[in-house]
Amino acid sequence: MIRPASEAELAEAVRAAHGPISVRGGGTRGPLPAGEALTTSGLTGITLHDPAALTLVARAGTPVEEIEAALAEANQRLAFEPMDHRGLLGTTGTPTIGGVVAANVSGPRRMQVGAARDHLLGLRFVDGEGTIVKNGGRVMKNVTGYDLARLVAGSRGALGVITEVALKVLPGTETCANLVARGLDDAAAVRAMSAALGTPFEVSGAAHDPHAEGGPRTVLRIEGFAPSVAYRCKALAERLAPHGDWEIETDREAVLAEWRGIRDVAPFHGEQGDVWRVSVRPSQAADLVARAGAKRAFYDWGGGLIWLLTAEGDDLRAKLGRYDGHATLLRATPETHAKLHTLQPEPLALQALTRGLRETFDPRGILAA
Amino acid sequence: MQMPSPDAKIMAKKAQVVQRLTEVLGARGVIHDPAETRAYECDALTAYRCPPLCVVLPATTEEVSAALRVCHEENVPVVPRGSGTSLAGGALPTADSVILGVSRMNRVLEIDTDDRIIRVQTGRTNLSVTGAVEELGFFYAPDPSSQLACAIAGNIAMNSGGAHCLKYGVTTNNLLGVTMVQMDGTVIEIGGAHMDAGGLDLLGVICGSEGQLGVVTEATLRILPKPEGALPVMMGYDSAEAAGACVADIIKAGVLPVAIEYMDRPCIRACEAFAKAGYPDCEALLIVEVEGSADEISYQLDTILKIARDHDPVEIRAAQDSDEAARIWLGRKSAFGAMGQINDYMCLDGTIPVSALPEVLKRIGELSDQYGLGVANVFHAGDGNMHPLILFDANKEGDLEKCEEMGADILRLCVEVGGCLTGEHGVGVEKRDLMSVQFAREDLEAQMKVKDVFDPKWLLNPAKVFPLDVSEGRRA
Amino acid sequence: MQTNFTPAQLRDPKTAEANAILRSCVHCGFCTATCPTYQVLGDELDSPRGRIYLIKDMLENERIPDDKTVTHLDRCLGCLACMTTCPSGVHYGHLIDQARGYIEKNYERPPMDRFLRWVLSRILPYPGRFRLALLAARIGKPFKGLMPDKRLRAMLEMAPAKLPPVSRNDDPQVFPAKGERRMRVGLSIGCAQRALDTDINDSTIRLLTRLGCEVVIPEGVGCCGALTEHMGKHDEARGTAAKLIRSMASIEGLDAVVINTSGCGTTMKDYGHMFAGHELEAEATRIGGLCRDVTEVVAELGLPKLVKAEPVRVAYHAACSLQHGQKLKAGPKALLKQVGFEVLEPADSHLCCGSAGTYNLMQPEISAELRNRKVETLEVLKPQLIAAGNIGCMMQIGRGTDIPVVHSVQLLDWATGGPQPSAISEQFA
Ligand SMILES: Cc1cc2nc3c(=O)[nH]c(=O)nc-3n(C[C@H](O)[C@H](O)[C@H](O)COP(=O)(O)OP(=O)(O)OC[C@H]3O[C@@H](n4cnc5c(N)ncnc54)[C@H](O)[C@@H]3O)c2cc1C
Ligand code: SF4
Ligand code: SF4
Repeated sequence: MIRPASEAELAEAVRAAHGPISVRGGGTRGPLPAGEALTTSGLTGITLHDPAALTLVARAGTPVEEIEAALAEANQRLAFEPMDHRGLLGTTGTPTIGGVVAANVSGPRRMQVGAARDHLLGLRFVDGEGTIVKNGGRVMKNVTGYDLARLVAGSRGALGVITEVALKVLPGTETCANLVARGLDDAAAVRAMSAALGTPFEVSGAAHDPHAEGGPRTVLRIEGFAPSVAYRCKALAERLAPHGDWEIETDREAVLAEWRGIRDVAPFHGEQGDVWRVSVRPSQAADLVARAGAKRAFYDWGGGLIWLLTAEGDDLRAKLGRYDGHATLLRATPETHAKLHTLQPEPLALQALTRGLRETFDPRGILAA
Repeated sequence: MQMPSPDAKIMAKKAQVVQRLTEVLGARGVIHDPAETRAYECDALTAYRCPPLCVVLPATTEEVSAALRVCHEENVPVVPRGSGTSLAGGALPTADSVILGVSRMNRVLEIDTDDRIIRVQTGRTNLSVTGAVEELGFFYAPDPSSQLACAIAGNIAMNSGGAHCLKYGVTTNNLLGVTMVQMDGTVIEIGGAHMDAGGLDLLGVICGSEGQLGVVTEATLRILPKPEGALPVMMGYDSAEAAGACVADIIKAGVLPVAIEYMDRPCIRACEAFAKAGYPDCEALLIVEVEGSADEISYQLDTILKIARDHDPVEIRAAQDSDEAARIWLGRKSAFGAMGQINDYMCLDGTIPVSALPEVLKRIGELSDQYGLGVANVFHAGDGNMHPLILFDANKEGDLEKCEEMGADILRLCVEVGGCLTGEHGVGVEKRDLMSVQFAREDLEAQMKVKDVFDPKWLLNPAKVFPLDVSEGRRA
Repeated sequence: MQTNFTPAQLRDPKTAEANAILRSCVHCGFCTATCPTYQVLGDELDSPRGRIYLIKDMLENERIPDDKTVTHLDRCLGCLACMTTCPSGVHYGHLIDQARGYIEKNYERPPMDRFLRWVLSRILPYPGRFRLALLAARIGKPFKGLMPDKRLRAMLEMAPAKLPPVSRNDDPQVFPAKGERRMRVGLSIGCAQRALDTDINDSTIRLLTRLGCEVVIPEGVGCCGALTEHMGKHDEARGTAAKLIRSMASIEGLDAVVINTSGCGTTMKDYGHMFAGHELEAEATRIGGLCRDVTEVVAELGLPKLVKAEPVRVAYHAACSLQHGQKLKAGPKALLKQVGFEVLEPADSHLCCGSAGTYNLMQPEISAELRNRKVETLEVLKPQLIAAGNIGCMMQIGRGTDIPVVHSVQLLDWATGGPQPSAISEQFA
């Protein structure tokens, strides 16, 4: 395993590589591609935290936990609440900020505040030829040149190895509460969540678990300062009355725990089968789940994200047919990954662009992803 | 500022190019008479001008594709144009280029409030996108001051921001999908009514690529429910430092308003003359907006005003009604235009870390003395996006050059304190030659490689963004 | 923005004025967004910013206007929406008037064009001739298919089915105030309006006298010159305007000149500018300064607050000359509300209905498109009536809808004791 201690060393290692290299941060998001292992875990440390400018800069291998702790001290947070994959994938290791950005990880707050990409102010990376590239910066608004940062974020190492990221951080939230309805069927739940997200009450989470203990559970999260949370919960419950009976839950620890569970897809932990992550137009979600014939389904992002647990090797994409969105195979055996492809195959014109970009940033094709 | 000299071969075959374009677009879609092309010789940056070979105004994605195919075959550069409000010369033509304007493509294609999206043709103006969903209780969040006139096309190309981006993000955070025509005429669809890319985030790099990767003809945009209420509050200070410190303290305190805008005295006066908003006449004015129900607004205001009072304001006043609120914003959003009554100006757009505000404002003042050119400041203070307006006389020999030099010094200063050349207006031609101040050769090389993939012949808006010597070998 | 006039050129006061206007334009493009012709045609050249550019180029180079430039400038409605929008205070109105004068002097129009413009400038400003022409047009209407030019067809089309008899109220005379006299005003009785609709002046006189105005119709009052001014025929315009100014100036103790054709109002308020450097300048400035739209005077005198038992739903169309030319937007609506009407405002209320003086005759296609858009936005409001403050708009909108269109002043008169406007008699019988 190559473990560079600096960006320069990392660049040198990439330049020196002959065969494929398999880049990993904390290695929590297996399965890792074949090739010589290269880890960013030697590049750590927060290099800047400017609370008044809402910015944080950290080296790629810095553990997410360390960042969250440092932010918490200034009553700030990563608002996109990155998912922790370990429980779902049964992996060990420590999630790193570089990995979070490289996979554009996000959490339930996606539909309100965005994903990792939306909080990314800039980054540094080493491309497939070992060249160090800087893009973006550390300020809140920056349109100087092309936005490579966003292209590289989410590219899962295909275009280069991220060495440092600059992120926008937000103030912490004082209070949170849940609005819960029981027993809604999937279509009704999605309609209710859409209605909630169409109100001005700033719903920061909307999830639905059809198989929850005690029957389907639809849950909406409200955050902010205390009087505002109280007001919005009440107003929202009234507005949503046509969609069911809503109970307000205010136990902070319980609310936090539930959303950590939603973020990490806790209902699927330890369950047998393949796990798919489907990004979809919310109004099509319930139909899609009906078509999927999955063992279990779970909705986040107000229906914009569906988690599906299917029988091993099941070709979900074939069952879903055409819809607005895409399906990523997140957990399966290496054979299934190889057979069904991890990422949704793209239309030809896009494939050509993707291939072109990969070839130009990694002409030797050594960045296995 | 230099532009490459026009390609004589292209100039010589103008008639042929015009004829082929007329065949695919009809006479109504092609403008080639020199008396007419002149009106397209610049965008809102009038310091640089050059009439194009011709102008095409297609009405559909198919027409855009057909026109691009012709230009691709003829090896003629194309400069996409939305409403021509770029302040960076993004839509500035070269004499051998075809301007492709999408102003006739302004239809709403789909509105879905359940999925909270709107799909539009990109010639539609920013404000009229909100206009289309307003009655349904929604709005499109990015609100450049030019929102009345600028098109979604230009917003996507420049990744435009606005006053309310402090809370809602800029264009890239609110863009879900596009239909884009590549230079060779290929039509591609990226993204849609769902979130995030399945593969590479192509949308992410297209947004902000200044019309150099393809012509965007349709866009799926995220719409948000309108807040229950909003209230702008004006806070006047007698020094830039006090106002700057107040901004930093508000943000540190953890209450994040939706907008924090800054204007100095010259701007305040010019805007007041137009909008009659009742701005206090002071050295530095902050407009802070908070949103929510009446109670939520007053709760947030309590916290903010407590901080504001610690910095010795000369006046604090909240809008009394929605009419006054509208005027406060009308004035702010008209600031650049209103300054035009007073003087010619060059508008800069550097962003700095908010914490560096007082220092940078002070040094801009020093530069102003040094060059003998006045500066007016109006900007998005909450996110550190500065808009110093350097005042000069366009009809006076040598003044523009002096102004350009001073502008370059200010932008270097922004980079020096950890910021960047442009926060929302884009590089265009205006900041093109300064790119090397912010980026190393490898950084620019990496960006140009993306263009190589999307537009291998470098025909789309070729002389922008990258310093000419850096892009030399790639341009036709 | 930068301009390139020579010092010699700038010695001409007109050029100096154009230079100052052009210098204040920052080319921001805001005005394109509210320009009706840009909305319809989507070409920068048919937007204010493009036109300013064309004018700049023409004036700077003292160029003989070419056909294309003239076409784009002719397409301008003169609605002045661009001036309302412009944050930089660019006086587009003065600029386009100058350009029109320049074109009139230096451009040879095609024969049919010249003929039509000559006809219009000889007929419209003269109520007697206009009335005869309308009568003749009614006879010609069935033959409109034979007309060689779409503009001629448009003219025939415009002739209304009914023509009112000449009103004796428009003869020179004095209408005493009812009760105590609070004001003495001269009424500009208009030219074309008088031939098309005599009710408007009648209602105006009733309303004003009821509110305590003595209304004088002076000897020799006639066309205000706006029509020919906008055709670039500045000398003719000044000729008729001078007559009007002198006629109003002859009224002793004049408090205001009242106008109920807002298109005229914009020009009349600006008489000082029209006569700048002219021997009549002082008088023109004085009379111009006394000009008021009828709704301004009514607001000043004050209306009784009345609430109709069942409020009539009125869609208010803001004439460009009122909302943009004279910046009177809220006033007329407030008056209608005050006397108990339910006032509705259409979407895109800043857009012109396409009437714009002689525009509907000279540019029938764009004009019809704008009328359709306007009628659509008005009809969705499901109003019982449409009100406007300008006869041109009334005729234009009226041709596109079955909903009755009346002048605001007729409604104010009706609500304060006058007769019900004849246009709506069937509906509210
Ligand atoms: C008074 C004033 C205030 C402004 N305030 C702000 C502000 O607050 N925030 C802000 O961000 N900007 C602001 N701007 C700048 C400008 O309005 C924005 O950059 C806007 O997005 C440009 O849009 P446009 O449609 O006018 O584009 P244009 O000026 O026509 O073009 C801009 C760029 O987009 C490219 N482009 C145009 N159409 C397409 C297409 N279909 N496909 C691909 N590329 C295309 C062009 O090639 C060019 O590079 C302001 C400008 C003015 C004049
Ligand atoms: S709005 Fe005013 S300043 Fe801007 S382009 Fe139009 S006329 Fe010029
Ligand atoms: S007067 Fe009206 S039609 Fe003419 S340019 Fe201005 S807005 Fe457009």
